[in-house]
Amino acid sequence: MADQSLVGYQFPSFRFKVEEGKIAEFAKAILCTDACYFDPEAARQQGFCAPPAPPTFSTVSMHWQPPQEGNPLNLDLKRVLAGGNEWEYLRPVLAGEEFTVRSHIADVTCKRGAKGEMTLIVRETGFYDEHDQLALIARSTIIELPPPPPMDEHEVLPT
Amino acid sequence: MNSTNHDASPRFQIGDTAPVRRVGPITRTDIVRYAGAGGDFNPIHHDETFACRAGYRSVFGHGLLTAGILSAYTTSWLGLAALRRYSVRYVSQVWPGDTLILSGRVTAIDPEGPDGMQVNCELLVQREAANGQRQDVLTATAVATYDTPGGSQNE
Repeated sequence: MADQSLVGYQFPSFRFKVEEGKIAEFAKAILCTDACYFDPEAARQQGFCAPPAPPTFSTVSMHWQPPQEGNPLNLDLKRVLAGGNEWEYLRPVLAGEEFTVRSHIADVTCKRGAKGEMTLIVRETGFYDEHDQLALIARSTIIELPPPPPMDEHEVLPT
Repeated sequence: MNSTNHDASPRFQIGDTAPVRRVGPITRTDIVRYAGAGGDFNPIHHDETFACRAGYRSVFGHGLLTAGILSAYTTSWLGLAALRRYSVRYVSQVWPGDTLILSGRVTAIDPEGPDGMQVNCELLVQREAANGQRQDVLTATAVATYDTPGGSQNE
C-alpha cells in the first residue's frame, strides 16, 4: 500500500540521448506525418535547428532508465493503472541533445471511491540539459485501486 | 532558445474549434508498433491470451498511444513551438477496430506578458466502435502561447 511517506522519494537519475531515428520511429508510432519529425530541412523551415521531439516523446526515456531492484514504491502491480500524464514544455527538445533525467514522487493522495480507498501517486520527471537547465517536466499519475475481493485476486489491471 | 514561436500569427478566439479528425481503425499492428517505440511491453497490450485471461475481451491500446495521436492533432492546430502544457486523463480503453474521433475547442484566452497571449484549449478523443457507438476515451487540456506584437489579442 502506497502512503504519504513516499513523497520526495528520488529515483536514480540517468542519461537520455534524443536520437533522430527514435524521433522518426516514435512519430510514426503515433500516426503523425508532420515532415519536421522526419526531415531536418523541414524542421529548419519550421524554425527548429534539428528535428524536434513530439510532445509525448519523453516517455521513451523509460528505455534508458536503469533497472530497479525490488518494488521501491511498494505498489501492488495487479491493482495499478495509469490515470493521466502531463507535460510542461520550457523549450523545444531537439535531436542530438543529451539530458539528465531526475525523477521523484511529488504527491500521494487518497480518494474514497465506490470500492474503497484508492491512492493517487504523482511522479514528476525533469529533463535537464547539458547546462543543467530544465527543458521539460513530465508528470504521470498512477492509480492504485483498493484491494479487490478475494475472488478477483488474479485480475490484472491495465497500465 | 532554439526556435521562435509559431509564426502563423494565429487568430484564436474563445469557442474556436479544431477541424474534427478521424484516425483509424486502430489495428493490433498500431498497438505493437507503439509498444516498441514507447518501450511499454506490458503483455496486456499485445498478448491476446494474456489479455483474455486477465478478463479483457482482447488486447487494447496504450493510453499513451491515444495521448500521442492526440498530441499530433493538437500541435497541427496550435503549433509545436507554441505548446507550453499538455495534460491528458484516461477515461476508458481503445480496442482494435475502433476509429478515434479527435476534437478541440478554445476555452480561454489570456494576456501573457506585455506582448503575448496564452490560449487554453480542451480536447477530446472518442472511440467509435464498428457498430457506430461512441464513447469518451481520453480528455485533455493544452496551453499554447504566442507573441502578439502591439499586445492586441484579436486583430
